Amino acid sequence: MNFWLAVIRQTGRNLRQTWTTQLITCLTVSLSVLIFSFFYLIYLNMLSVGDKLSDNLHLVVYLEDEPGPEMQEQLRLKITQFDQVEKIRFISKEEAYNRFAKQLGDNREILTDMPTDFLPASIEVVPLRTLRSLRQVKLFSEYLATLPGSQKVQYGQQWVERFYSFIQLLSIIVLLSGSLLILTATFMVASTIRLTIFGRQEELELLKLVGATNSYIRTPFLLEGLLQGLAGALLGLSALYTLFQWTTHHISGAGFFNLLSFTFFPFTIISTIVLLSIILCAVGSYASMQKFLRV
Amino acid sequence: MHKQTGQPGETASSSRTAMIEIIKVTKCYPPNVTALADISITIASGEMFFLIGKSGAGKTTLLKLLCNMEKPSNGLIEIAGMNIHQVTGNKLAKLRQRVGMAYQDFRLLTNRTVAENIAISMEVSYRKPQIIHDRVRNLLAQLQLEDKHDILTGDLSRGEQQRVALARAVANSPTLILVDEPTGNLDAISTEQVMDLLTRCNHSGATVVIVTHDEAIYRHTNHRIMKLHDGRIASLTRGSGSEQPFSVDIPDDAERMDKSGDMR
Ligand SMILES: Nc1ncnc2c1ncn2[C@@H]1O[C@H](COP(=O)(O)OP(=O)(O)OP(=O)(O)O)[C@@H](O)[C@H]1O
Ligand SMILES: [Mg+2]
Repeated sequence: MNFWLAVIRQTGRNLRQTWTTQLITCLTVSLSVLIFSFFYLIYLNMLSVGDKLSDNLHLVVYLEDEPGPEMQEQLRLKITQFDQVEKIRFISKEEAYNRFAKQLGDNREILTDMPTDFLPASIEVVPLRTLRSLRQVKLFSEYLATLPGSQKVQYGQQWVERFYSFIQLLSIIVLLSGSLLILTATFMVASTIRLTIFGRQEELELLKLVGATNSYIRTPFLLEGLLQGLAGALLGLSALYTLFQWTTHHISGAGFFNLLSFTFFPFTIISTIVLLSIILCAVGSYASMQKFLRV
Repeated sequence: MHKQTGQPGETASSSRTAMIEIIKVTKCYPPNVTALADISITIASGEMFFLIGKSGAGKTTLLKLLCNMEKPSNGLIEIAGMNIHQVTGNKLAKLRQRVGMAYQDFRLLTNRTVAENIAISMEVSYRKPQIIHDRVRNLLAQLQLEDKHDILTGDLSRGEQQRVALARAVANSPTLILVDEPTGNLDAISTEQVMDLLTRCNHSGATVVIVTHDEAIYRHTNHRIMKLHDGRIASLTRGSGSEQPFSVDIPDDAERMDKSGDMR
């Protein structure tokens, strides 16, 4: 207990003595946390938007001829060879006609002169609602076009595809800003700790001479790193939250955004980001100590 | 209950066990300075020991070897039965906590207050803040530095710094106290206070090794005095002083001067 009291006192001294550097480091860490979590938040929200869009995403393969049961089995096999799918449904010419008729409702008289098989038979394929299978919806459609007897493949709207490449771009940005976070957190903290160590060389020397244990000398520096990580993450996340509140408040008028209903991070993600930042900063300070603290 | 396993002779020897055992120690500094040559001496636990010799004789070097700041080029040094140059890590830290050294160059943290400087040696062994606080007050009172409690040590006079360094050395009640020229910058009164403090530590069981040029403080002792000359033992004598510990002749009005002495 006394150990921790002494260590905390020592840490407080460290922080007070170099508070300007500490502040700059803390701000840098929080800025990179902010950048990272900003993109990550957009990414997550876009994913949920994508989820909603994909609810009614399905591919329709129009066939030249109506497949017999054998053929149906073969087609089913071929389709699942490419990827697992949520659902496959065969629609016969008659079914298609009936559907169409139903859609027309009161205007169905138009159809009276038409033969019941004027619409092509088709297969409805609902892809799995995982991001991966959604991303390759284009590839999938190209594959489906090569199926025997396939005439034409239609799927949702063209912009679905664009949307997913946008998400892909976002995920790259998230990765980049994540690496930025890793670099700044570890390197900034490492260099701050190095500064503190250099600034107190004399004291550290003396501490060793009067019999300070390794942990007594080292723990304050580690604690300093932990605090930097914690403060930086909290500051960055609160800045993001403020930004989030402001944005949702001001944009609520616009129709498009209203549909999307943005949400902030759930608690688990918040704590993960904080933990990550703490770990990174601790790693930074540890590395610095290993290099510059001759104990 | 367990039977007492008293061994004959144990009690008799324990009062006089060796605190410091120096065996054929040589210390060479590069390129070819021989600071100490073939020194062998045993200092008993609870002894007060004076180390004298002219400048450059190797006195400081010997103390540095004793507190493991330097390693001997040759020979063996044992403190309380431990070869101090072989212990490392937390064991070394624990050992150093029991050895208090007042350095010739003080090694005070000049940007910290007097109280903080003295507290350091107690903080590293995790003493309670209240105990540290009391001990610091007590030591400062003994050395007439009460009013300097919150002054930065960089702002003190040499003599004051010297006493703060001494206070730090004895603060943690170490079993071995090594002091390097404790009275170099002091007037007679302060010298007496310093020697009183060291004598008190010695009486409460600490082994005290004092390096000094100041003949006044060893002239009247009955302790052993070792003289070094060019890194060798020139003589090892026992002081011929009377039973009462240190005293110097002080004119009565000197007491009023001690404050002004600080202002030099
Ligand atoms: N780090 C060092 N490198 C080289 N030579 C050194 C070093 N430290 C001490 N010496 C030399 O070792 C010899 C003994 O030095 P030491 O400091 O022990 O003397 P001292 O007896 O304490 O003298 P003083 O009374 O002036 O303090 C001196 O000749 C000194 O120049
Ligand atoms: Mg010396």
